[in-house]
Amino acid sequence: MAKKRYAMVIDLHRCVGCAACDIACKAENNVPVEFHWSNHIVETRGTFPNTTFRYIPTLCNHCENAPCVTNCPTTAMYKAENGMTLHDANKCIGCRLCQLACPYGVIFFNKETPHANYRDSQAAIPGATFSGREVAERAGAPLPYYNPARAATYPGVRPRGVVEKCTFCDHKVAVGEEPACVTACPADARLFGDLNDPESKPAQALARHRPRVLQRDKGTQPHVFYIREYGKA
Amino acid sequence: MTASPMTAHIKPVIDASRRSVLKAAGTALVASANGLPALSLLTPTDANASKAPATGTWVATTCQGCTSWCPVQVRVVDGRAIHLRGNPEAKGNHGKICPRPHLALQQVYDPDRVRQPLKRTNPKKGRNEDPGFVPISWDEAMATIADRIMELRRNGEIHKYAIFRGRYTALNDILYDKFTKLLGSPNNISHSSICAEAEKFGAFYTEGYWNYRDYDLEEARYILCWGADPLASNRMVPHAINFWGGVRDRAKIAVIDPRLSATAAKADEWLPIIPGEDGALALAMAHVILVEGAWNKSFVGDFVDGKNRFVPGQEIQPLQTLASAAAATATNGARDPVLVPVFAEKHTHGLLAWWNLELKDRTPEWAEPICGIPAAQIRRVALDFAAAGSRAISWLSPGACMQVRGAYAAMAAHALNGLVGSVDARGGVVTHAPTVTRSAPAHDAYLDDIAKEGLKRPKIDQRGRLEFPAMASGRPGSGVLTNRVADAMLAKDPYDLKMIIAYWSNFAFSCTGAQRWEEALSKLPFLVHITTNASETTMFADIVLPAPHQLFERWGYVNNKQNLHSYTTLNVPVIKPVADVRNEETEVPWLLAEKLAERGFDLPLRYFKEMFKDPETGQAPTNAQEFTLCHLKTSTRACWDKTDPNWGKYGDAIDGWEAFVRRGVWNSKRFTYGQRVDRFPTVTKKFEFYSSTLKKALEEHAAKHKVTVDEVMEATKYVCRGELAFVPHFEPALRHGDPQEFPFIFFEHRSRLNREGRSQNCTWYQAHKNCDPGDENWDDVLKMNPADVARLGLRNGDLVRVTSVQGSIVVRLKAWEGVRPGTVAKCYGQGHWAYGRVATKDFARRLPRGGNNNELLVADYERLSGSTARHGGLTRVRVERA
Repeated sequence: MAKKRYAMVIDLHRCVGCAACDIACKAENNVPVEFHWSNHIVETRGTFPNTTFRYIPTLCNHCENAPCVTNCPTTAMYKAENGMTLHDANKCIGCRLCQLACPYGVIFFNKETPHANYRDSQAAIPGATFSGREVAERAGAPLPYYNPARAATYPGVRPRGVVEKCTFCDHKVAVGEEPACVTACPADARLFGDLNDPESKPAQALARHRPRVLQRDKGTQPHVFYIREYGKA
Repeated sequence: MTASPMTAHIKPVIDASRRSVLKAAGTALVASANGLPALSLLTPTDANASKAPATGTWVATTCQGCTSWCPVQVRVVDGRAIHLRGNPEAKGNHGKICPRPHLALQQVYDPDRVRQPLKRTNPKKGRNEDPGFVPISWDEAMATIADRIMELRRNGEIHKYAIFRGRYTALNDILYDKFTKLLGSPNNISHSSICAEAEKFGAFYTEGYWNYRDYDLEEARYILCWGADPLASNRMVPHAINFWGGVRDRAKIAVIDPRLSATAAKADEWLPIIPGEDGALALAMAHVILVEGAWNKSFVGDFVDGKNRFVPGQEIQPLQTLASAAAATATNGARDPVLVPVFAEKHTHGLLAWWNLELKDRTPEWAEPICGIPAAQIRRVALDFAAAGSRAISWLSPGACMQVRGAYAAMAAHALNGLVGSVDARGGVVTHAPTVTRSAPAHDAYLDDIAKEGLKRPKIDQRGRLEFPAMASGRPGSGVLTNRVADAMLAKDPYDLKMIIAYWSNFAFSCTGAQRWEEALSKLPFLVHITTNASETTMFADIVLPAPHQLFERWGYVNNKQNLHSYTTLNVPVIKPVADVRNEETEVPWLLAEKLAERGFDLPLRYFKEMFKDPETGQAPTNAQEFTLCHLKTSTRACWDKTDPNWGKYGDAIDGWEAFVRRGVWNSKRFTYGQRVDRFPTVTKKFEFYSSTLKKALEEHAAKHKVTVDEVMEATKYVCRGELAFVPHFEPALRHGDPQEFPFIFFEHRSRLNREGRSQNCTWYQAHKNCDPGDENWDDVLKMNPADVARLGLRNGDLVRVTSVQGSIVVRLKAWEGVRPGTVAKCYGQGHWAYGRVATKDFARRLPRGGNNNELLVADYERLSGSTARHGGLTRVRVERA
């Protein structure tokens, strides 16, 4: 079996900047609210009335030449054979060198135990409204919308003291599904697949359109590519 | 893959505090045959839940986070909702959802939800009064409410009972309609007129359609959005998002919006209009289309000799002496020069009258200083739009017409569709395919004398008065004046209200002039609020009832349309409710009816028991839950019951109730174009540029009050006189506040993350707010052009006090090139001083996160439709460093 090289192509012409990807990612990966595995850059340019706005979805670029991997002292951050940049939370010592090395700001550090709001016993109006802890208990999980499938390949919720980042939803890819940001995209702007397969959607898109990557000059060789324009050039 | 990384999950993934609830089970990596890891499970200790696979099941229901009302599915694992997706069976949103359904997870599991019925112990009411809520049982709550109802009925005051409806399902016909009437109150007050009634006005008084339109995005070649931001809000969001890439490939897109909106950012042309001047722009476009001969001649018709007489400034005699051969043909071959109609109009009515009365002088050069759009751009957009002919969409939204003088702007913008013949056309602006649901059975036999007396009273909202024609569907006095109720309550005119049940509504926050609502509710003797969260309105309540979340926790159904399909989609209780809730639209009225029967008034309960039965078993309901299902199954029977005469006739043929619940959605057949042409339900059956339909309605209203139409215009704050009242015409924007004292025009817009006013307590809302162009995460910024920021000596990020004639808020300033100098913009939705601990800065101290626009916006109305004017820059403000 040929080696896989997973990649994502984001078609900015189709993207409408709705952030469904960002929110679906949080739900899929049990991501703390202030961590943005899936994120975006927004830019307003020009002077009224010749103003343009664009929205560039971002995520871990799963770089071929990944600074987070080369700078990790424990091999917690590693390149998988399928091209994904993955993180072994067991080996992570929380030194945050990966965070410093990453030019894209897509690695996050758990300073605290996440999802504190669902451990809180205080109610907004005592006796009248719930507390976060009560809602979690009623739902039957410490995070009421906790996705257990995430735990297949990564801690379901990453503990205090380790970093975390986008894994291209490797737990979904492993069972033949696409990453959550891809399936959640109402614009069908995200194409995910194996670049070593010329028939794959991203390979086809890259053959048709001139691709761009973020901060090409850093030499990281991202596996997240952008095609076409968000709005008027 | 190497082995070690894949065992990473073996490490305990939850801290000690979680182990009491969860334990990691099956943590050893299970390798499946192909070497890929199988799912390991985190299984709750609860034994009966452990059978569910970690992947869970997808269950169909409906999202009502905006009025797109999309069929969705929820992934349920161990009885918990964990993910959302579009219902793949749905033809309207074709399996797509926008960001809103994802946010709903944080609503249903909101730590700040009301847990059970509550009663107030502090009789004093006000924003800063602690209501002193204490928990009570459902039984006590129902008994208390029933006692109040009985008291009103005993005292001949049942008309002083009102129900306020906000977000609702089609099952609202029980609580909102039937139950209210059976008690004997005329006061079922919906939120409709704070939403978009002026928009319906535009389509109704041109083509007889009091409704929102659908748009044929697949076939359109030009899309002209009047404040419409379909990629972010209303009324077909996921469909529009999914098709937009293709639309951009096929069509030109122009967006008229004072703000660089989400859709404007993805358009070919942005027309940053001065708020409230949409009418001027639409009229100038119509002028250009006529002068340049670019109208659709096969829909509208043409001059009989083909010679274009639309010359700027020149009136056209409708009857002229013509000698040409064409004219001869047009006059059945008569040779003698006689007066003949110079224009042979086809499927429209009154084009020359419109030109002569209004359009002839409405040049782009005239419009430019009024609306702020360069004449050259007006001309270009108008001609590009017209060049697309019947595949050009003029897409009207509330922004362009929910203005004090917005009714005629609505007509003007919609009339452009008439000029290019895109009405009811392929690639154009269409209506809807029929659905097959039905509403509750007749209740007349269950009205007693008290009820009949009460129903004779006028409604509380002052509709139908000279200054409030509220002419929904052409009937004066038939539309609701939601926001006027606060004034009516305060003035006790026509009378005072003594008791209100409000559900999924929050008028103390969502209505302009919000301060009036706080005052009116403070003085109201008895308020019942049915709500998920302790909102602003809740703080004035005497009884609070926890509402089920519409997406996850209750039965119901709604009808809507997208993508040329109508659909019926079910609200399904997909999880066990988090709080102790009852279905507010059916179970609450049933429980109240039981209490009323115990108190000697059994007609509502008899109506429920005698007029409803389960269509499968034929059994009458014996309790509230059975009643809900009886009504739901009966209402939707033609969707799923083979024995129904309409089954399979107009859309999907679904075999059986269970199959319908599983599927969740019934799709209509695809809309058929061209069925309405020459059969428009207008007075003339034509698409009316000169609205005989409006003339009839206005004359009826005037006659009722024994005044002239001119006097109606004066009373409703319109400046036009004479025949202009019957054609789309220019009306200058009305603004509150002196331009010297309040130099900025304030306008508001919607968020793509707004689940109406209810998602601000979700951290995901706050943490992604900057996906609204110009906005910032965890904030509620006032957007001002950088040139104005510099002129005022302010800086980006300053806290500023924004003041109107009505009130003042303090928010952060954002210097942004996406708004016009002289205007300032802020999103609606933030500024909650209640609702929860995320939505507010400090819940206990009533400190809002940002500021509520409705404390700045003056309560004023588009009176012909009864709408609350909340757009068009109706309020000026001044901005100072706080």
